[in-house]
Amino acid sequence: MQRSLKNINVWTFSAVIIMALLFLPNLTIVGGIFTPTNENWAHMKEHVLWSFVSTSLILVVATAALTISIGLSLAWLIAQYQFPLRNFLKWALILPLSIPPFIGAYTYHGIVNYTGVIQTTLRERFGMEVNPSYFDIMNLPGAIFIYTIFLYPYVYTITRIFLSQQSASLIETSRVLGKGPWRTFFHVVLPISRVSIIGGASLVVLEVLNDYGVVKYYGIQTFTTAIFQTWFGLGDIETSIKLAASLMGFVILVLMIEKLLRGRRQYSYSTTKVRPLPLIQLTGWKAASVTGFGLVIMSLGFFIPVIQLIDWTILTFGTIPMEEFMVYVKNSVMVAGIAATVIIVFALIVGNFGRLVHGKMAKLLPRLSILGYSIPGAVIAVAVVTAFIGLDRTLAPVYQALEFDTTLVLSVSLIMLISAYIIRFFAIGFNSIESGYDKIGTNFRDASRLLGMGITKTFFKVDMPMLKGAIISGFIIVFIDILKEIPLTLILRPFNFDTLSTKVFQYASDEKIMEASQASLLIIGISALSIIVFYKFIEKEPK
Amino acid sequence: MKKMLYAALVLMLLLLSACGNQEAGNESSESDAPEDTESKEVNLYTARHYDVDDQLYKKFEEETGIKVNLIKGEADELLERIKREGDATEADLFLTADAGRLFRAKDDGLFQAVSSDLLDEQIPENFQDTDQMWYGLTKRARVMVYNKETVTPEELSTYEALTEDKWKGRVLIRGSENVYNQSLLASFIEIDGEEKAKEWAAGMVANFARDPEGGDRDQAKAIAAGVGDIAIMNTYYLGQMLNSEDPEEVKVAESLGIFFPNQETTGTHVNVSGAGVVKSSKNKDNAIKLLEFLSAPEAQGTFAEANYEYPINDSVESTELLKSWGEFKEQDIPLSALGTNNSKSILIFNEVGWK
Repeated sequence: MQRSLKNINVWTFSAVIIMALLFLPNLTIVGGIFTPTNENWAHMKEHVLWSFVSTSLILVVATAALTISIGLSLAWLIAQYQFPLRNFLKWALILPLSIPPFIGAYTYHGIVNYTGVIQTTLRERFGMEVNPSYFDIMNLPGAIFIYTIFLYPYVYTITRIFLSQQSASLIETSRVLGKGPWRTFFHVVLPISRVSIIGGASLVVLEVLNDYGVVKYYGIQTFTTAIFQTWFGLGDIETSIKLAASLMGFVILVLMIEKLLRGRRQYSYSTTKVRPLPLIQLTGWKAASVTGFGLVIMSLGFFIPVIQLIDWTILTFGTIPMEEFMVYVKNSVMVAGIAATVIIVFALIVGNFGRLVHGKMAKLLPRLSILGYSIPGAVIAVAVVTAFIGLDRTLAPVYQALEFDTTLVLSVSLIMLISAYIIRFFAIGFNSIESGYDKIGTNFRDASRLLGMGITKTFFKVDMPMLKGAIISGFIIVFIDILKEIPLTLILRPFNFDTLSTKVFQYASDEKIMEASQASLLIIGISALSIIVFYKFIEKEPK
Repeated sequence: MKKMLYAALVLMLLLLSACGNQEAGNESSESDAPEDTESKEVNLYTARHYDVDDQLYKKFEEETGIKVNLIKGEADELLERIKREGDATEADLFLTADAGRLFRAKDDGLFQAVSSDLLDEQIPENFQDTDQMWYGLTKRARVMVYNKETVTPEELSTYEALTEDKWKGRVLIRGSENVYNQSLLASFIEIDGEEKAKEWAAGMVANFARDPEGGDRDQAKAIAAGVGDIAIMNTYYLGQMLNSEDPEEVKVAESLGIFFPNQETTGTHVNVSGAGVVKSSKNKDNAIKLLEFLSAPEAQGTFAEANYEYPINDSVESTELLKSWGEFKEQDIPLSALGTNNSKSILIFNEVGWK
């Protein structure tokens, strides 16, 4: 008893500290809710706020609905049926995640605009002058398309793993009892995969809310626009923080609803043998249309933009300096690797907290620490700078004792950048780890504890092996997300530190999208490679 | 409570540095390096991202032995970072591509006055801050481009004339979040007052060929595509398109005419790229040297040659392309006005519904 009490303290103590740290920068923002409004707030409210809010809502709702339709249907088809190219599509359908949405936005605009390949071909090969508005992608539906096609893998990945491993027995039972595929889908698959669907979709929603690159380029004014406008344009940080705080309030609401929807239902492993679902062979037109559907999504989300980027790379090859590209690759991989590792370790600790401590608060607290993901990166960045400079000031005596001749140490080092990544992307890693914990439930752990093993030992011997899949998939997704990240990297990096994504930004911000293609391809290549490695690993896992 | 949080924060950092240190070590030791005597470094925060700038810094390093350390970012965020770093900031020089932002930096007390005969000689007075807090380095003009087939230059006169009925559904320009547009409107506020400027903005919105989208290059392409007939854009984008690797872009650029508006009246809107020495700079002399280098004829020629910007240094001859566009009369207002009127212009854009 004595021993286990000590263990609880270590685990819960570190979990509480981690959550506090992750939440700390958000605290300044939450406080903003309570400041009185001023004339800028009144101006925003009178002229633009409601149109911004409604645009954001349309964007979020439509993207969520579409990513769920595409992600879930693909996951279901892959999990249930055998058809040509299934084994390829199974992992290749994750690849669109490797393309940052804003690069996708630039690339698609490059393809369809007046000088793009489609209109040029129509014009020059076929002599057709087409109405340019048919090809205008820079509008709300265009942005919804971009977000959907590059973010649906969040829903797809999480749901597919769930469906093919976890729910096999339920689906099989439904089949045996004579339910057709549609009824099985709506009456069994949909309800039981609710948790993973919502988990994936909430990541999509948060990503859409905090993104600024796509909407800025496409000229769409969203809630994020309002935050930037008041802060940088009007120099009114208070109103800007108030807006950010309102956004956070909205996100908290969404998270609550998610928890509510999850309800008390738990679908954890009921047996140690998790069997994959036996596949039903599809033939004829059914097989062809399923394969076709997969390939279309695959092409839109990966092949088409990549081919365009390769074309641009060839076109601009030699016109931009490339000597240092290896350094950028090294930098990108290094910071993303370190941050992703720390995030997963933190997520494991915090996730375990929810299982060790009982009560509603224990379930809610970890959720709060993922709030950072809803706020635009630039806002987080400035909060982090403030925190680190405060820290450096506090540590000034220490620096003096060590005879440093400068007062800024942490805030000019990579530690600041990596910490910011951790604050921002914890949500992504945590989501994966938490669903992993959900899946394994507490039965095995309780058994282990009953048999006299301590929490830590149980964690490494019982929980960890069962969590392996969640750990790796969480790591890969966080890693890729950090590779793609821009605003934090730009603002928080130390001197002379460039990554692939800052290079992409450098060219894209000057409207030189063709010149940005090299670095973009490298980001996509590294991400795609890690997805493939991840897939191979998962495949080798004994099921 | 607060103390506890701080303590917790320190703990995490120790944890972090444990796993991040060996790699981070090289980086931070690099920036901690200038312990040795005379500093041979200058730390630059820049919102300009051109490759040609990097080449110039390299050349500066070769000539002077002073290493240029860079953080590239977006102007507003970099300013915010300098502001928060306060006296301890490592930044020596802040460089950005908009006079409004330079003004804001000065207004926030982030710059210090510096003077040098060479700077005075190389940079005309109207492109220096009145208190010598910042210096302009390149000029860019925000002009009109038009479809040569549907518009004759005789039809064009002023920015104001674009609000006339004959241009209904024909005018293209990018969104109002863009600082070039904010500065354009800010200049009108300075010249004609807020009332008139608002009328102009409302008139433009009424004549838009489509809701604003994309960047400056996209406006040019929209003319070629027939979406509209006339667009407002910065000159150097046209230069970039004319020299693009993509033959289709070149074709588009060649189909466009360029027009410098308001020649009979208030002059064409110009903005600058410029830089100021940060107040608590620890390498002030090096920062001034870099400013002098960037405004010297050689660097100025490079800006014009590689980036199609107008040199600020009068002694430098501009390139063939810039010459072919002709001489023009510039707006005669203090550039700081672009900063003082920036907020007003944003409010006006919101009020008239300029997206």
